[in-house]
Amino acid sequence: MERISRREFLKISAGFAVSLALPLKLSAEEKHKISGPLIGVARGEKNKLVKAAVDAIGGMDKFIKPGDRVLIKPNISFSANAECGATTSSEVIKQVVELCLDAGASKITIIDYPLANPDLCIERSGVRQAIVDKNRVNLLMLSKERQFVEIEVPDGKELKTVKIARELQKADKFINLPTAKSHSATGVSLGIKNLMGLIWDRSYLHRVDLHRAIAELGLIMKPDLTIVDATRVLTSGGPGGPGKTVILNTVIAGADMVAVDSYTVGISSWYNKSFTGKNVKYILYASELGLGEIDTEKMVIKEVKV
Amino acid sequence: MDPLILLIVSISNHLLLNSYLYSLVLIFSTLLFGRFFCGFICPLGTVIDLTELAGKLPSLKFRPELKNFKYLILLFLIISAILGVSFIYYFDPIVIFERSLLLIVFPVITFFFGFFTAEPSFAYVESLFAIIFLAIIIGLNFLTRRFWCQNICPLGGLFAFLSKFSLFRFVFDNKCKKCALCEKVCPTDAIDSKSERVDSSECILCLRCNYECPENIIRYKSKFLRPKFDIKRRELLLTTGSAMILAPLLRSTYHQRLEGRLIRPPGSIPEAEFLNRCLHCGRCMKICPTNGLQPCIFESGITGMWTPRLIPRIGACEKNCNMCGKVCPTSAIRNLSLEEKSYVKIGTAIIDRVRCIAWEQNKTCLICDEACQYNAINMVNETIQGVTLGRPYVDERICTGCGMCEYRCPVEGESAIRVYAIGEERRASGSYITEEKKKLRSCEEKEEDIPSGFIIE
Repeated sequence: MERISRREFLKISAGFAVSLALPLKLSAEEKHKISGPLIGVARGEKNKLVKAAVDAIGGMDKFIKPGDRVLIKPNISFSANAECGATTSSEVIKQVVELCLDAGASKITIIDYPLANPDLCIERSGVRQAIVDKNRVNLLMLSKERQFVEIEVPDGKELKTVKIARELQKADKFINLPTAKSHSATGVSLGIKNLMGLIWDRSYLHRVDLHRAIAELGLIMKPDLTIVDATRVLTSGGPGGPGKTVILNTVIAGADMVAVDSYTVGISSWYNKSFTGKNVKYILYASELGLGEIDTEKMVIKEVKV
Repeated sequence: MDPLILLIVSISNHLLLNSYLYSLVLIFSTLLFGRFFCGFICPLGTVIDLTELAGKLPSLKFRPELKNFKYLILLFLIISAILGVSFIYYFDPIVIFERSLLLIVFPVITFFFGFFTAEPSFAYVESLFAIIFLAIIIGLNFLTRRFWCQNICPLGGLFAFLSKFSLFRFVFDNKCKKCALCEKVCPTDAIDSKSERVDSSECILCLRCNYECPENIIRYKSKFLRPKFDIKRRELLLTTGSAMILAPLLRSTYHQRLEGRLIRPPGSIPEAEFLNRCLHCGRCMKICPTNGLQPCIFESGITGMWTPRLIPRIGACEKNCNMCGKVCPTSAIRNLSLEEKSYVKIGTAIIDRVRCIAWEQNKTCLICDEACQYNAINMVNETIQGVTLGRPYVDERICTGCGMCEYRCPVEGESAIRVYAIGEERRASGSYITEEKKKLRSCEEKEEDIPSGFIIE
């Protein structure tokens, strides 16, 4: 047996140690990266929130490619005053529109199917200020059945077929832009709940199990990006207000709609009580359907102050 | 601008209808120039004339002598107005024209407009009677030309009466050769070429005779002739009698008590005055952005036909709208400010718990609460058969009866929450806003139950 010198032994053992440790460390890093969805949270000055939050998850270029037709769905369904928090604030909508334009979007449609009088919703929410480029940005308030198209819900238990907005099929990218608010039936109204504003027969959902039906909407409508406007949060009295409105000046962004919703539940108290995403039926059911991550422990949360 | 409305509504309401005082201009100018209104302005007259373009049907030989009938109808209207019942909306040509536009033309136009755009289209529960009514008026035209204007129209009657005294009129200015061409073209049979007379009360100044006369002897000149009346005393007595019988018989006194869902527009004056004041012209129904204001058929009686009522299942009363009061020509619906209108209680919503899916079927439904514009519906957690769920309650002190809940209720067919004219406020004057109402509305931070959408550990 050949003897080795001490030096050589040290060399080899060091090499072994490194070669053993390196993959361990690498895999740890790798695992950390893919372990959960990325959530960007920005707090601070109102006018920079959206860019900061989206930049934290890789920037708008990651989601919007030049030439894309983008559909933005804010919640401008109520004719409540903008400060109340029942609708997505026009400043936030405007920032999203501008980011999309900068990323090279060819056409942007801001869409909603309002519950209240459409003209009043437009007026009160101030959404017109988001139309920064008349050639590329337009506003569409749905009102007719023919603006919707019937599609099947794969694996739907509560919903078999749903009529969704035709525009959804025409768009290349879909940005879900809810406002964070309380809701007297579902508890909170966030991203998944906001999808209800793109279907024709909303009242049908109330005649079946509402919470499961809302979760199942996630099976057919998959936003590329969800941005929650929590600049002001209607913590009670929702969905229409008036109620208790809290100023949080926060925007949450992420590609995983369930994760964004689940995280947002935790940033505020609702009806003077604290909840997590798992406490909200429709978010829980959506995660059970495999639509996204509900556990905030498993998310990669990047918080930014601006 | 309609002097007949001024006359009848003023009499039946015991007041001077200020907004119609302009129509005195028409009275004076008719005293000067004759029935120019009928020939040049009247929109219903224009419609009747236009039907002639559709081709001439052979005129019937039967030519009833009914020219006095229009005076008798005018008398009938005046007497029933004195008795406090207004029938003007069946006879006034302006009102008939406006209502026909609303109930016949407007729905068709908005249908085709909405067909190509996303604009809403409007429809009304009653168009058939309006069509029949207009068809009869136009159809009578085939009996004799302008039959309505010659024989029935009480506004025409009023102008005809005044024209008997008119200063300017058509006269035979020279010796006539009796070609009778003028008689043939005259739409109202006003000319008698044998006696060389033009009846100024029938002449609507259409100028046809003036154009056609080969000798050009029929001219418009200032000439006063002694007015002639040939109404028989028996006719006058018969009309007076029939008005005195029909007015008490046909008035709608008890209909609102029978029809609990007869909800009048916000700011309507008390029912008895309302029925006298309302012209049934339909302007409020046309302007109503939600299409919720609909014409009554028989819900408020014969004298209430085509009066406005809110049918919340078709469209609710929008909180930020006071247009019906703004367009009402006679202030039957008061012109209230937006704030004041939002305090008018036109009824109260009542939940039918047997139909309500939150009460009866344990479904998570909050649509009435969500829809309520005044925060009058509270979701209260109630345990029924072991299921704890938010169930709706109406706070009747805050509810205004706007009907948004009834409109949006997801229950198929008849709504599970319905508005009844319970607690409706009808004031002829004074403010609807009270401190108590303001206080009730200002409690924005109500204690709310935790919604059932939360899982509480």
